[in-house]
Amino acid sequence: MSRVAAAGGAITRAPPAFAITRTRRIDWPPLLLLLPTAISLGSVCVYPILGGLWLSLHNTMLATRENRFVGWLNYRTLAADPDFWSAWRHTLEFTAVSTLAETVIGLGMALLLVEWFPGRGLVRAAMLIPWAMPTVVTSKMFGWLFDGQNGLVNWMLRSLHLIGGNIDWYGSPNTALGTIVIADVWKTAPFMALLLLAGLQTIPGSLLEAARIDGAGAWQAFWRVRLPMLTPILLIAAMFRALDAFRIFDLVYVLTGGGPADSTEVLSTLTYKTLFSALEFGYGSALATAMFATEAAIALCFGILIAHSLRRQER
Amino acid sequence: MSKSDKMPRGAAERGSGAGSDPSETVEAMPHDLTGQPRAGSGRRAFLGGVALGAAALGAARRARAADRTEIGFASAKFFGKETVAQVVEMYNSSQGRVHVSYDELPPPSDSTAVHQLLVQQLARRNGSPDVFTQDVIWIAEFAGAGWALALDDAFGAEVRKDYFPGVGVACTWGGKLTALPWFIDSGMLYYRTDLLGGAKVPETWDELVKIAQATQKSGGARFGFLWQGKQAEVLVCDLVSFITGNGGAILGPDGKTVLLDEEKTVAAVEFMRDTIAGTKISPQDVLSWDEEPSRRPFTGGQAAFLRNWSYVYTIAQDPKVSSVVGKVGVAPLPHFAGGQSSACLGGYQYGVNASTKKREAALDFVHWMSSPATQLHFATELGLAPTRAAVFDEPALAKSQPFMQTLKPVFVGATPRPVTPKYAQVTLVLQSAVSRALAEGNVKQALSGAKERIATIVGS
Repeated sequence: MSRVAAAGGAITRAPPAFAITRTRRIDWPPLLLLLPTAISLGSVCVYPILGGLWLSLHNTMLATRENRFVGWLNYRTLAADPDFWSAWRHTLEFTAVSTLAETVIGLGMALLLVEWFPGRGLVRAAMLIPWAMPTVVTSKMFGWLFDGQNGLVNWMLRSLHLIGGNIDWYGSPNTALGTIVIADVWKTAPFMALLLLAGLQTIPGSLLEAARIDGAGAWQAFWRVRLPMLTPILLIAAMFRALDAFRIFDLVYVLTGGGPADSTEVLSTLTYKTLFSALEFGYGSALATAMFATEAAIALCFGILIAHSLRRQER
Repeated sequence: MSKSDKMPRGAAERGSGAGSDPSETVEAMPHDLTGQPRAGSGRRAFLGGVALGAAALGAARRARAADRTEIGFASAKFFGKETVAQVVEMYNSSQGRVHVSYDELPPPSDSTAVHQLLVQQLARRNGSPDVFTQDVIWIAEFAGAGWALALDDAFGAEVRKDYFPGVGVACTWGGKLTALPWFIDSGMLYYRTDLLGGAKVPETWDELVKIAQATQKSGGARFGFLWQGKQAEVLVCDLVSFITGNGGAILGPDGKTVLLDEEKTVAAVEFMRDTIAGTKISPQDVLSWDEEPSRRPFTGGQAAFLRNWSYVYTIAQDPKVSSVVGKVGVAPLPHFAGGQSSACLGGYQYGVNASTKKREAALDFVHWMSSPATQLHFATELGLAPTRAAVFDEPALAKSQPFMQTLKPVFVGATPRPVTPKYAQVTLVLQSAVSRALAEGNVKQALSGAKERIATIVGS
């Protein structure tokens, strides 16, 4: 993210640099005005992160009253913990697949909704319903849809002769995570569509008109004009989505509880179990920190991509 | 995760974790075993009476209150026709020495929160709350941490003699009695009286498999036997009854030896897997089912047998939601050849804070709460089954809770889950390993892996 700011602000930052060289004295009032923000951000953002990091270096367990500094021990345990790595892999798989699907489907929805047609306002509003629904409700709904015995999905697939017998979607390690991805895509694709729709509307109509006059078809106009113009916003939206998807908790918690055979255990549910069921605050904090580090790495990758695409656009 | 189902009464509510409708069971609970809706007006009249009495007695009361020893009591929320608070008030007005102030914790359906609140309070070691109630699986943890007062001198002999044997074992840690039984629930076998076809109620798993397969073949029911295989606490409950029913165990009596890869244990888990993959008396869906999803097909008339807690009976007899009214019987769970019927023990127990500064008062209160008369009151007014076997023979219980009375033989075989202070960690390993064994079929390998990990947890 910081690289985005650096890239975007490179041009506008030049004149203030002048101002600083002119007066060497520190200008206190603006800094004082920043103080409330710094304090509130520090107390709700920086402090908990550092606190969690500090706690992860201890063997704190509420039940045994252990609370010693153990250095990197928790992280060494973590590195050798198969549960952690399997949850880590599931979380990354979930994040990658759901973000990709949501971006592609969201883009399709946005491309439809940017065109004018009768009742467009209504459709735009209705599109947001899945996203506005509480996730627990979505979970229950998909629980019923994919029910192994009486679910609508099994009935439909059977009626179409695509499957011979009922599939137990949440009871098989092969299908459980995929089913949760489907629920997440249904819920969050509209959110992507909304962000991308906003992006599409910033592309000047004159550019598309010019393309059309030059003889470009819809397909060419999309690949040559719309998509390149949209890329930075697409990447920012995908980053939001990926960081959010990485924290997946409620769908798993309600639908499978991490099973069967740990096949849907993700980092959030594993951390929750370690922190709040086993009350292992030290090790749980190490898990949370590992999650934070992975999220930071994802954000960094997206940040680099975004900065890159912005620079290309400026050229 | 629901870190659910540690406590059977709440277990169904917690089924909300997975696809069940919490409201239906929450509503069902107050009727549970009592058969009557709870009386709100009675409570209001009661409170009114207290207010009137307080006004009339005025100064005299205040003087007496100052003489009474004030103690705190924290418990998860239970209610039937009455609430726990009302029972505490009964104690307060029954004597003039001790006054108990009641701190209501969340309901057992929010077991994780109850556990956390108790741990936070007890860890302060300042004597508050003086008396508390705990889920059966926290006893070793609280005792191991030194938070629970040993009760041997006050109750020891009585508990070993008057209570169900499994409850006594669950309340003992390190050879000391560290908890006092409050109420009991356990897993049990529900069967369809109309589908037995003249056969007697199965006592071994082999018999059950035979009847179940015959019923499925004749078209009497779609499913033979339903149980709970979801990766959740309830899976460990089912596991315990299968393993113990084969004479196996998860932990040895020392709480340190892990017996998970012993032949009998492996055979029991292989039987669980076989119900899905071999004999096919259970649908693969049990792997994603906890209590409520497994209860629905049974009360819908689609299954011959069901393992579940006592709450199912009331639902099965309610014509609004059940199509098997009058066709359901309850029996102890079957065992394997050469084994003994066993069911997973659930329920809540009293504990006295080791740091209490008012030991005498706390013991007096616990004594009253655990007395046969109070247990009977809890049974008839709150639907909580007594842990004292003798209370089941009370005529008053037969009158208001005829079904509960029939459960006495079921509760005799109730077996605690592994008794270890590290239970919270042990159960997570068990859930993961057994779910893996059931889903993938490598029973021996999954259990051996779990054995090593559990040994590290309990050995450290």
